[in-house]
Amino acid sequence: MEEFLTQFPPNGTIRKKPKRLRTTSTQSDAGAGAGSAQDGPSLNTPVLRHRFSTQSMNSYADSETSEIHAPIPRRHHIQTTETRHWLRSSSHSPGPSSSRDLSPLSTPNHRSLSPLRHESFSAHQQAFPASSSSTSFPSPLPHLHHHTRHDSTSSHNQLRHHLSFSALVELEKEKEKERVEEMSGMGRRWLKWMHRNGMKEWVLGAVIGGSMWVKWCVSLGSYSGQGTPPMFGDYEAQRHWMELTIHLPISEWYKYDLQYWGLDYPPLTAYVSWLCGIIGNVMDSSWFALDASRGIETPESKLYMRSTVLALDTLVYVPAVYLFTRIWLGYRSKRTQNLAMMTMLLQPSLILIDFGHFQYNGVMLGLTLLAFTCFTRGRDLLGCIAFVLSLGFKQMSLYYAPAIGSYLIGKCLYLGVRDGTRHFIRLGVTTLLAFLLLFLPFLPPLSPVSFPTCILDPITRMFPFNRGLFEDKVANFWCASDVVLKWRKWVGKGGLVKLSGGLTVVGFLPGVVGLVRSGWMTRVRSGEGLPNTPESKHEGDGDEGEEDEHHHDEPNHTHDDNTRHDVESPEEGDGSIPITSLLPHALLTSSLSFFLFSFQVHEKTILVPMLAVMIVMAGASVDSAAFEWAVLVNNVGVFSMWPLLKKDGLALQYIVVTLLWNKVIGYRPFHTDSISLVRILAIAVYAGMAILHILELMISPPPRYPDLFPVLNVLLSTPVFVLAWLWSIKCGIEAFWALGGLGSSSTSSSSSTLFPTSTKLGGGVTGRRERKLSMLSTISEKTVDGHGESRREFRKSLGVGSGSGSGVGVSSGLALNGLGSGHGRWRAGS
Amino acid sequence: MSIRYASPSRKDVQTPSSKRPSWLSYSLDITSSEFDILCLSTCLKVLLFPAYRSTDFEVHRNWLAITHSLPLSQWYYDTTSEWTLDYPPFFVYFEKVLSIPAYFIDPRIVDLSNLNYDAWSVIVYQRTTVIITELVLATALWRFIRGAIDPSTQRIISASLFLHPGFLIVDHIHFQYNGFMFGILLWSVLMAREGNKLASGFLFAVLLNFKHIYMYLAPAYFVYLLRSFCMSPQGAILPAKFLSLANTVILVFVVSLGPFVLMGQLPQLLSRLFPFTRGLNHAYWAPNAWALVTAADRVLLRYVKRSGANVALNMSGVASTSRGLVGDTVFAVLPNIKPLHTFVITIAFQLVFLVKLWRRPTYKSFVTALTLCGYTSFMFGWHVHEKAILLVLVPLSLLAAESHAHFRTFLLASVAGVFSLFPLLFTPAETFVKVIYSSMWALFVMMPLNRRLYEFPPSLPFVLIDGLEKLYLAGFPLLQLFVTVFPILAGSSSTPTTTCTPSGDFACPEPDPAASTSNSAAMEFLPLMLTSVYCAVGLVWAFIRLGVIYLRQK
Repeated sequence: MEEFLTQFPPNGTIRKKPKRLRTTSTQSDAGAGAGSAQDGPSLNTPVLRHRFSTQSMNSYADSETSEIHAPIPRRHHIQTTETRHWLRSSSHSPGPSSSRDLSPLSTPNHRSLSPLRHESFSAHQQAFPASSSSTSFPSPLPHLHHHTRHDSTSSHNQLRHHLSFSALVELEKEKEKERVEEMSGMGRRWLKWMHRNGMKEWVLGAVIGGSMWVKWCVSLGSYSGQGTPPMFGDYEAQRHWMELTIHLPISEWYKYDLQYWGLDYPPLTAYVSWLCGIIGNVMDSSWFALDASRGIETPESKLYMRSTVLALDTLVYVPAVYLFTRIWLGYRSKRTQNLAMMTMLLQPSLILIDFGHFQYNGVMLGLTLLAFTCFTRGRDLLGCIAFVLSLGFKQMSLYYAPAIGSYLIGKCLYLGVRDGTRHFIRLGVTTLLAFLLLFLPFLPPLSPVSFPTCILDPITRMFPFNRGLFEDKVANFWCASDVVLKWRKWVGKGGLVKLSGGLTVVGFLPGVVGLVRSGWMTRVRSGEGLPNTPESKHEGDGDEGEEDEHHHDEPNHTHDDNTRHDVESPEEGDGSIPITSLLPHALLTSSLSFFLFSFQVHEKTILVPMLAVMIVMAGASVDSAAFEWAVLVNNVGVFSMWPLLKKDGLALQYIVVTLLWNKVIGYRPFHTDSISLVRILAIAVYAGMAILHILELMISPPPRYPDLFPVLNVLLSTPVFVLAWLWSIKCGIEAFWALGGLGSSSTSSSSSTLFPTSTKLGGGVTGRRERKLSMLSTISEKTVDGHGESRREFRKSLGVGSGSGSGVGVSSGLALNGLGSGHGRWRAGS
Repeated sequence: MSIRYASPSRKDVQTPSSKRPSWLSYSLDITSSEFDILCLSTCLKVLLFPAYRSTDFEVHRNWLAITHSLPLSQWYYDTTSEWTLDYPPFFVYFEKVLSIPAYFIDPRIVDLSNLNYDAWSVIVYQRTTVIITELVLATALWRFIRGAIDPSTQRIISASLFLHPGFLIVDHIHFQYNGFMFGILLWSVLMAREGNKLASGFLFAVLLNFKHIYMYLAPAYFVYLLRSFCMSPQGAILPAKFLSLANTVILVFVVSLGPFVLMGQLPQLLSRLFPFTRGLNHAYWAPNAWALVTAADRVLLRYVKRSGANVALNMSGVASTSRGLVGDTVFAVLPNIKPLHTFVITIAFQLVFLVKLWRRPTYKSFVTALTLCGYTSFMFGWHVHEKAILLVLVPLSLLAAESHAHFRTFLLASVAGVFSLFPLLFTPAETFVKVIYSSMWALFVMMPLNRRLYEFPPSLPFVLIDGLEKLYLAGFPLLQLFVTVFPILAGSSSTPTTTCTPSGDFACPEPDPAASTSNSAAMEFLPLMLTSVYCAVGLVWAFIRLGVIYLRQK
């Protein structure tokens, strides 16, 4: 940005025009993200302008020919709804930087001043004869440079009155660029600044370091149950587990004094607690003395506990996020990857719960994310192990199990009978072994207790069906509907368990069915080679009926190719089978359905769907529907935990971290040109949130309804989660559709309206072809000669369906104005 | 980061749909990057609310209570708390203003007898006032960008000052109002840059009445204003200008001190402001020339003791070394330093720079001389506090982009100076905060500036110096590692290394003599001493560098 500014002091636009024009062609492609190429290493960038006067001659010459225009990037016209009335305005207003009153030009003694600037500038002075106008100068100037300043500004005014059409176009382009930059949010602006100042390679470190810093600062605050004897809170629970694991034999872990925070997480948590306890015990044995240390709240022990969270988060979650962004967003630009990384690392709900409230969710989520990344790369066995570890750390990751299980089944189906069966067996064995290993210390040879009971103890602890339908106030279906329908009066406990189980299954069924069925539909049929080769798909596409025969033929070949591909190309194709594109939404559907409908849900469990939201959101452009939804769900998710955070004394952190995150990702719900349904919903919800917070601040709840505000919170949050759940189902269906999953006859008309981009790209492509296109997408990415962004958008839109449909319309550069309205409608629909 | 051109004169280009989204930035002409930095810094600073706070927090709370519950006549006489008022009147008026909302937020804040009150309300209130008053600094820095010769570089410098780790450590964790007062100083410098020297003098006079430590900088102001404002370039005195300046300054002092003079409290006030009862060094030696001299004395004593050389030892000096932490520094081997000595040395060095300023009273020269005045006082002053390094670092930052030599000086001084502030926060929880933040700040400021200003060292001596400086900088991570690890290795588990909280302008209370004579106290002092000496090396070198650069400048 600094560099950018140097070039646009008051008279900057004009003076710089030659260069601008020359670089326009590359600029327009590189688009919003690229910014001004002035500082980049490309040939025509005037990096050396400060040093060599010969350079200035070249530039001068360039400026003579600079009237040759690159095409104006059309996407700007689509993106912006600005009118073009400035084209007709007679008295033109000052250039973009009229607010700046000094230009580098006016610094004759400054070393950065180059002859080039003088020359190109004077060239323009000649080109535009003098006239004058007045400009306001907001700030007075250093007396030292008085005369120079006068010079430059007056000529600036002269120029302004004689702007040629091309200069106006330039001006407009600048404006659009500014707009895009403004839209892009703090994170992207910072990334751009880093790139421009040659600190590209420091971005990763800075992102990790900065996020760790924020996390640590949140850790300085209070934690759950601080100073509230006799039971304290989650902090004490975790500390107590460290205490009991290091002092008791394994068989006692799940039995010891269950009334006081008995261990109720799976074994991996226990092992990790043991490790932390051992290390802490070495540092200071009073922190974890058996029974004696209950409720210990010394600053040192707090420091130690907080640092274990940070350490585990940094060891598990951060690398998982890193791998995820590098692999899942492998085709996107580094900036997008880094932005996604920032988004995930600064995610407010996780920071607040892990580092404020005190838990180790980052480990579970990190392991799940790792599993997801492995699956998308085709490393299914590794993924299985990671997911089992995740399950073994916290049973909450069971929320993902339907999606992941059905994905793996779908993949087995996809691979065909022989390979599929083999794959299935391998997966099954790996999973079983991983579980066995995890529970090994609890099993007979190592455990003094006989077989069934030794394993039943932990399991009954982990799945507390003997507790209530929900605790406290949680923004799920049961708690929200409980306001009206008193479920617990109507239905017995057993009935409630069944009911909630049934509803949950219904809730995640769409995702599961989609995955399994599309796995079946897209299964390798003809054996003509790679699952990723479009040619084979074309031929195999012929008739559904033939497929069975085909894929019996050369399954080995397919398999070999598949593995070969794995090794050879680290790119998209490897392991990424068509149904991978269904997985993110399936994860979201499944986890949200658990959150909404299952038994004994905590408000903190919203973190589980939130990870799926993050996956869906990763790489989505700021104006895509996926982004809108994801941010909305995220913000509402944080809001739904407000009663908890308030109790923990984390109100300040709640506000700050949430605002910071929204600022970083560039979310601006109240500033938009296009109004979509999500937008309206979001604005309404935010207004509701604000009103609730203000009311809570101003009035205390009536004694009859002490829980008034938490209940209102639930009533506001739950509908959003339900809508998000429906939205994710819808997206899942669309993605499924894109894979050709919904039969064949009816799709032609609907899909062509559903996918304006593919229609645009493929001309008369209709129904059947849609699905080919989705297969083709991986290839076309390599061939389409565009920059990373548009390629990726393209692929994503095809793969995920509606997710970033609008993004494609914008960045493919093919969309016309007419279609612009089309995609607006489309976004409204989604 | 982009620019947002939102000056009113552009309004007509902007169609309704392209209306600038944020009304704030729209009306104030803040670019989105500047707004980003404001948001970011506010967020980070708010997150630090629960962090460690020194006794200065209670000091300021006590002042709120004094000003709120006592009449003006008793402000400088109250001794309810040990933290009596020792700032000039403007700051006390400022506290009075702050105490009014405080009363409505929580009346217990301004209760005089409610000592060591640390409820969440008072923490939030006082911390918030620091953030809000710091907007003065933000505004001054923002104006610096607007009129700058090279706005892009100035923007980095402005951002670096606004997010300076020194301010973060001293203001937002330790607790003081430096951001606010340096805001006034920078505003005054800005006025000097824009040719409005009367305003510059006025603001500096105001600043002096906020905190008298800025007297360190007064000589440069005096010479500069006298030469460039009250005299014509040919050297003729312009009485009208002189009178207007004098009247302005006198007026400020009358408003500030007048009430107390009328009540005949001036001697009491001055005795509070200038307590000449302290030692050469502060508890933790500020990293200046005296730190090096003291360290040399300690080393010599060791040597003398070991070799048994026949040197007259000052016995009280020997005792002083073993006391380690606190009290008067008495040298065992070297001749002792008296306040007069430090005074003479300081004046002598300042005179050299002031003569140069007199001959060349330009803005740049003024800023350099200002920095050097503060620097000289820091280097050779009596009982200098380590926080005074901000007096050097802030004006020095304005010079950072002058040349590569300036930048190098800035780099060395900043790194050493910020590091020397680390011992202010001795609690382990804040170690992570200060280290990560300062390193990231250094990265984001130094890398782009270095890129813009880099020059290859022109000759062999310069190459050598360059190498040595790099080596010196590389030593800081190691030093930090040592400082972090040493207490653990020394066996004192994780208890804080200092029992004394260096605070404000106050001497630390005498620690338990039994503890301080023991060996462990000396061991605890070792990291502090090492930090101080190592930083002193860099700061003395940077001082020499800057002095030479200034004197050699044409």
